[in-house]
Amino acid sequence: MPNLFILVLQVAVVLFACRVTGALFKKIHQPRVVGEMFAGIMLGPSLLGWIAPNFSAYLFPASSLGFLNALSQIGVIVFMFLVGLKINPAELKKESHAAVLASHVSITAPFVLAAFLSLYLYPRLSDDHVAFSNFALFMGAAMSITAFPVLARILQERRMLSSRLGTVAIACAAVDDVTGWCILAYIVVLIRAAHSDASIWVTLGGIVVFGLVMVFGVQRLAKKVFLNAYEKWGHLSENRMAFMLLLVLVSALFTERLGIHLLFGAFLMGAIMPKEDKFVRYVLDRFETITVTLLLPLFFAFTGLRTNIGLVKGHEMWMYCGLIILVATAGKLGGSTVAAWMSGMPFREAAGLGILMNTRGLMELVILNIGLDIKIISPALFSMMVIMALVTTFMTTPVLNLVCPKEYLEGTGDKLGAERVSEPSVSLQETGVA
Amino acid sequence: MAHTNRNFVIAYILLVGLPLVGLVGVLRSGRSLNAPFSVDGAWKINAGALQTSSAPCAAFLSSVSNSPVSISQSGTSLVIGLGGGKLTTGTLEGKTIKAQFAGAANPNATDCSDRSLTLTATLDPQTEPRTLSGRLSVEGCTSCAPVEFRAVKQPRPAGGTR
Repeated sequence: MPNLFILVLQVAVVLFACRVTGALFKKIHQPRVVGEMFAGIMLGPSLLGWIAPNFSAYLFPASSLGFLNALSQIGVIVFMFLVGLKINPAELKKESHAAVLASHVSITAPFVLAAFLSLYLYPRLSDDHVAFSNFALFMGAAMSITAFPVLARILQERRMLSSRLGTVAIACAAVDDVTGWCILAYIVVLIRAAHSDASIWVTLGGIVVFGLVMVFGVQRLAKKVFLNAYEKWGHLSENRMAFMLLLVLVSALFTERLGIHLLFGAFLMGAIMPKEDKFVRYVLDRFETITVTLLLPLFFAFTGLRTNIGLVKGHEMWMYCGLIILVATAGKLGGSTVAAWMSGMPFREAAGLGILMNTRGLMELVILNIGLDIKIISPALFSMMVIMALVTTFMTTPVLNLVCPKEYLEGTGDKLGAERVSEPSVSLQETGVA
Repeated sequence: MAHTNRNFVIAYILLVGLPLVGLVGVLRSGRSLNAPFSVDGAWKINAGALQTSSAPCAAFLSSVSNSPVSISQSGTSLVIGLGGGKLTTGTLEGKTIKAQFAGAANPNATDCSDRSLTLTATLDPQTEPRTLSGRLSVEGCTSCAPVEFRAVKQPRPAGGTR
């Protein structure tokens, strides 16, 4: 049984720390999520556990972390459903050559550079229970991810959602996330299959059947039960909302049972939901408040408790960390910039796209936690990658202001593709999800 | 083929196709790399092999080495936890683990639990599960004989966390 007093105290402290730090970061023109990620790290062994070890041990005893993790995972499941809900496959099909090239390069460039870096890091930060190919593929997936929601938030704050840069960035981020999650699913299946009695072909067969049922069965059911009802009455009853949540949980359970991960099921359920703008906004409004204000901060705190910057000690370790940040930035920012520029985008705009794509935010933390859970990355590498996620997310706004000031973008007068960006893309970010 | 389409195809091959070929090469060449032996996880002391001595700190050493050992590994850097909440960092050099647990600030401490401890162990990577053979000694206690131990790696819990 959990110690309820400690659990409620933890939630209260996390909530307070995240709101205060988030507000402070907003004052320096950073998305609130960066502050919340930072607050999570401050509550962990990197700061609180270092300066006040006794208080830290009282507030976050090891025996209580399982309950905190369980609560935070519920939040991440709903969050991944909302991310999937916001991704509209129809928008991706309409994108230009620039978007197609930039999105594919923004995956392959960091992926391949991360694989090269793995040649150096694997003998130094891994162990012989992890195969090199799994290590390299994971590093590639982790470095090629983009925080779709935080990116949309930055675009919305800068009123760039309807610009050419905005539409291309949104399309690229969506492609990146879907691809990144597919690669990650593949790695998780490989690793879990290696430690399981079940054949990998049974797992793969199960995934294919599950995917077909979701796309051809549950998608139609969702349209009938949710969209039609919404269009008829203008709202969804509590029973229908509960049923939607039930489908998310069942989908998550199926993917977990298939050996992928809970979060893939939640993401897929969101991705196959109807994409009618008003409907998507309505669902987001119902789910996001409690998820964003209460449950996701718990995930930041749990991530922070697993992040020990003290493990990154000595010149050598900090050099590895610097290399990770450099390679992640060169691959994502550099790759996207070159691809967009080669596709005919003016250089500054192309650089703006690269900077936006380099935002990793919460999506990176989700992936890293999976990597630590399946033991494909070590605690020190986890901490370095968390630092990389923080740095790349933190640098986005100031570097974007430097390279692509608002006046420059307004001067381009480019409103191409304004009709392509659906309003719900904004909604999730208004409350700070990233 | 239109001019723009041709350029697009060329750019795509250069920026996407070639790097993917490079990725295949990296994955192949990486197979020959050797990472440090894995010692990450919980280790159970094999009590049957514990050899206590009659020296002053024997009881303390025995109690410490009877508790499970936990190791968190990042390459050759280790964080090692012993019974009684003792935690320290150590290194893995080849098959040898070396770590020192700091004692109390007073170097002349009379209580054994206040003295610093040194742990050295050698991994046998051929056995499954892996085993460690090592010794635990008390620093600054000339009459204390080190305790030798043998530890067996415990299976990882399915889906568990590091």
